[in-house]
Amino acid sequence: MKKLNIKRKFLLFLLLIAPGLAYAQKTEKTEQEEVTFPCVTFWNKLIPRYIKTQFAGSIGVVSAGVGWNYGKGHWETDALFGLVPRNTDRHAMATFTLKQNYLPWKIDLGENFYFQPLNCGLFLNTLFDDDFWVKNPDRYPKGYYTFSTKIRIHAFVGERITYKFKRQNMFAKSISFFYELSTCDLYLINAIENRYLKPKDYLSLAFGIKLQII
Amino acid sequence: MIRIVYITLLFGLLTACDLIDYHPYDGRLSSGTETDINRKNIEKIEALCQNKDTIRFIMISDTQRSYDETEDFVHLFNDKIENVDFILHGGDLADFGLKKEFEWAHRILSKLKVPYVALIGNHDIIGNGDQVFKKMYGEENFSFIAGNIKFICLNTNSIEYDYSHPIPDFNFIYNEIGDSTRNTRTIVAMHAPPGNEQFNNNVKIIFQEVIKRAPSLMFCLHGHEHNFKVRDLFNDGILYYGCTTMGKRGYLLFTITPDSYTYEEIEY
Repeated sequence: MKKLNIKRKFLLFLLLIAPGLAYAQKTEKTEQEEVTFPCVTFWNKLIPRYIKTQFAGSIGVVSAGVGWNYGKGHWETDALFGLVPRNTDRHAMATFTLKQNYLPWKIDLGENFYFQPLNCGLFLNTLFDDDFWVKNPDRYPKGYYTFSTKIRIHAFVGERITYKFKRQNMFAKSISFFYELSTCDLYLINAIENRYLKPKDYLSLAFGIKLQII
Repeated sequence: MIRIVYITLLFGLLTACDLIDYHPYDGRLSSGTETDINRKNIEKIEALCQNKDTIRFIMISDTQRSYDETEDFVHLFNDKIENVDFILHGGDLADFGLKKEFEWAHRILSKLKVPYVALIGNHDIIGNGDQVFKKMYGEENFSFIAGNIKFICLNTNSIEYDYSHPIPDFNFIYNEIGDSTRNTRTIVAMHAPPGNEQFNNNVKIIFQEVIKRAPSLMFCLHGHEHNFKVRDLFNDGILYYGCTTMGKRGYLLFTITPDSYTYEEIEY
């Protein structure tokens, strides 16, 4: 096998290993309790556990999608579609984001509220637009630009507050409000090399809502 | 307890409006970002240099990802350097074509005590950078007159485009040469010089023949190659002066008198 670059390794990790770990923990229980075909339990696990929508955050003016919780609620993986709005001389663009969240702590505030003081992780964003490329187009000499304009990797930290509904027979079981600060690879390269750039220059703020449905 | 959390959250959001970024390649300029910079500054340069017989200008280039060095240069220039009429930027304001990179660069360069104009570099075209450049600086090909010298500033980054986009734009060059009522001498400035991988080298000889038709072509200026260079590329006596990068803390200073010129390669 050829050497995989770091981005691909990360993607593989997200797709295969991280959810796999969580499923491994769950399957032990469910196999004992339920008598179902393995393929059914597999498909059941693919049903999204929550829906999420977000404002800004370098992945579109708004983005929305679904996600899965696992690992005792410490891990979440989101799949979000976003929209970069049209402006005077450019058409709108669609983006897709794969986001890995880690939430180490949960503080019970009482009255069905709880607070998660840290939500951190990484996300990959891609633009659906022909003007952007993953690898240099053929017109360039080999290795001319060493980065991709189409795929960005971002790191973020944020916080979240959740209200668990008293009635659990509704569509949504709980609602969460979150905000986060993120930066992407290209901003970070600029920031590291220049004292001139301050956090407000290269950090990106997002806030949003998550509805737990299962 | 909950109220306190909410209030801090809201307060955080409201005070952080600068932090809203839709996408690194979202081409919408942040509020307050200046537009049409080249045209505005050209007006100032032309007014400043009118009827002057000696013109002094500095060329800087490739400031990409060198904000600290650019800021140092601006301080040095504003404090120590006198009698310079304007500054010519040889392109590559941005490194990844990001809107924020253009805005950071202009935030620093706008502090210069003399007007500056910027050429478009190949890194300014990546992604949707060319659209950001157009909005902030204006046309990719432009010209201005300082004293009796016309500066023809060209986009020569052919490799960034398909053949549907003419680089270099000969129509523009012909028109500029044809319109020579206000100038008796000419300087041609570009980001990538003929022979460079960015240039459309199939037409480099024709390019040279065409620009030499301009009234008294004195010399050519370029950036992109990240070093000081003085070359007679076509062995015809027309010198191409290459400017180093801001990252290497260098610039070119030209003094043009009515019948000759001098130049200095300066490191700071």
